[in-house]
Amino acid sequence: MTAELAIETTDLRKVFRNRWSGKEVCAVENISLRVNRGTTFGLLGPNGAGKTTFVKMLLSACIPTAGTARVYGKDTKDPEARRPIGYLPENHRFPTYFTGAGMLDFYAALSGVDSAKRRKLIPELFERVGLDPKWMDVRVGKYSKGMLQRVGLAQALIHSPSLLVLDEPSDGVDPVGRRQIRDVLHALEAQGVTIFLNSHLLQEVELFCRDVAIVNKGRVVLEGTVSDLTAGKGYKLVAMNGSGPKEWNLGSREEANGKIDDLRREGFSIESLVPTTSRLEDVFIEAVQGKK
Amino acid sequence: MTATFALIVDTFREAMARKIFWGLFGLSLLMVLFFLFIMKIDVVEGATATITLFGQKAGGEHRDMAVDKLVKQVHSSISTFLYSFGMFLAVFASAGLIPSVLEPGRIEVMLSKPISRAHLLMGRFIGNVLVVSCNIVLLVGGVWLIFGWKTGVWSPGFLVAIPSTIFVFSVLLTVVVLAGVLWESTAVSTMIPVVMMILSPILAQEETARKLLSSEWSRQLWLFLYVALPKVYDVGKMTLDITLGQGAGSWWPIWSSGAFGILVYGAAQWIFEKRDF
Repeated sequence: MTAELAIETTDLRKVFRNRWSGKEVCAVENISLRVNRGTTFGLLGPNGAGKTTFVKMLLSACIPTAGTARVYGKDTKDPEARRPIGYLPENHRFPTYFTGAGMLDFYAALSGVDSAKRRKLIPELFERVGLDPKWMDVRVGKYSKGMLQRVGLAQALIHSPSLLVLDEPSDGVDPVGRRQIRDVLHALEAQGVTIFLNSHLLQEVELFCRDVAIVNKGRVVLEGTVSDLTAGKGYKLVAMNGSGPKEWNLGSREEANGKIDDLRREGFSIESLVPTTSRLEDVFIEAVQGKK
Repeated sequence: MTATFALIVDTFREAMARKIFWGLFGLSLLMVLFFLFIMKIDVVEGATATITLFGQKAGGEHRDMAVDKLVKQVHSSISTFLYSFGMFLAVFASAGLIPSVLEPGRIEVMLSKPISRAHLLMGRFIGNVLVVSCNIVLLVGGVWLIFGWKTGVWSPGFLVAIPSTIFVFSVLLTVVVLAGVLWESTAVSTMIPVVMMILSPILAQEETARKLLSSEWSRQLWLFLYVALPKVYDVGKMTLDITLGQGAGSWWPIWSSGAFGILVYGAAQWIFEKRDF
């Protein structure tokens, strides 16, 4: 166990048991995952794959049936392990009686931030997440979905966490807001904050994350860097003759060279040869359908 | 300490937003104002000469009553009110404050903070007790001050109603907490302590029941329920006796109700620690 890892789980397992029928459902099955300090990590998976249960076990909102989860080397059973974590859940329901500032003040106090620091940080955070500070004294019940998402992000950032766990952070946010949130996250990444993103928006993960794990039916089915997972799929060759351009998808460098020789002999002129990459979506679909 | 204070303030904030605090506060204040402005007592040589309500002479049987007797009667009426209607009201009003914090989407954010579940639950419990305590202090303290000021009779026994009512409410609140963490239902969290309050004066007739019940097992069951459940009626009667200057009698209802509260709260915390959200 080393604190070089932001998150480390070993054979983490969660079985939900119905209180009355006794029926068991295994939501997370022996997941061992390592998330390096300072990285941007995306956890992907179809609905019901066990992503949220996994995240909840990291936060001790869900008690593991077996295995261990550590954050910066500390067992998540220890409340102190959660001190470096900022968390934004997917379906948050912040009490509507809070004003925006009151809400941030409350969650900051729970994280142990003293009142003088809270007073200073709250207006700063409002601006940082793209909320007009005039909304600070308005009850969150009057906020739009996008504004709630932003104030939720501010709540997760209020105690300057070194690990940010975000569940669908741009859900309900317009494209401009999405970009703003991404900019905030990029700035945090530059400061060395580890970002753990749980999202079904593959494009968002592809754009933002360095590392990903794909979870299906409670198990990790694929893990690696985004560039590794999407690279190395072959070459796309475009060549022309009198009847116009033609395309060939070729599996290897040797195959591409052989094809070029053949085409040159046949009088084609080579237009382009580019290495092809898969989109994360292709990788994801292959992984969850068991083709990988 | 910062987190505990935040949890307490949050409970107050929610109680105010749900009008729970203001409802209880308004009722207590109304009673205090009633005694302050509406009810006027003229005392002549230690006896009530005239009692007026809304400027009209009232209280025929109270006329010429020894003033300390009148004060004790008012005090005992307030005590009885607190242990009956007041307690019902407090439980009804505040029962929702425990399940609300366990709502999905809210509890996860709180659990993600560096505080233990025991701390979270205790902070909420203390906050809830303080919401009700403020109103009890206002009502009992207010009435005590007004009658002391108006009549010159300062009967300290009445002030026992403050800790004793808070104590009984806290015991009943442990039941609310247990029901809350088990079922997350305001309705169930309200019903169970209310049933206990209704059962309390019935179960307290234990000696009569012993004579009336024919089978041994039913007598044992009655005795078990009386011993096990919180003794709202007995503690209320004890408070009334102290208010009337008749002494406390046995402390058994206090410590047995306290033991019940500790056990139930312990069970609630144990379940809360094990629950998945």
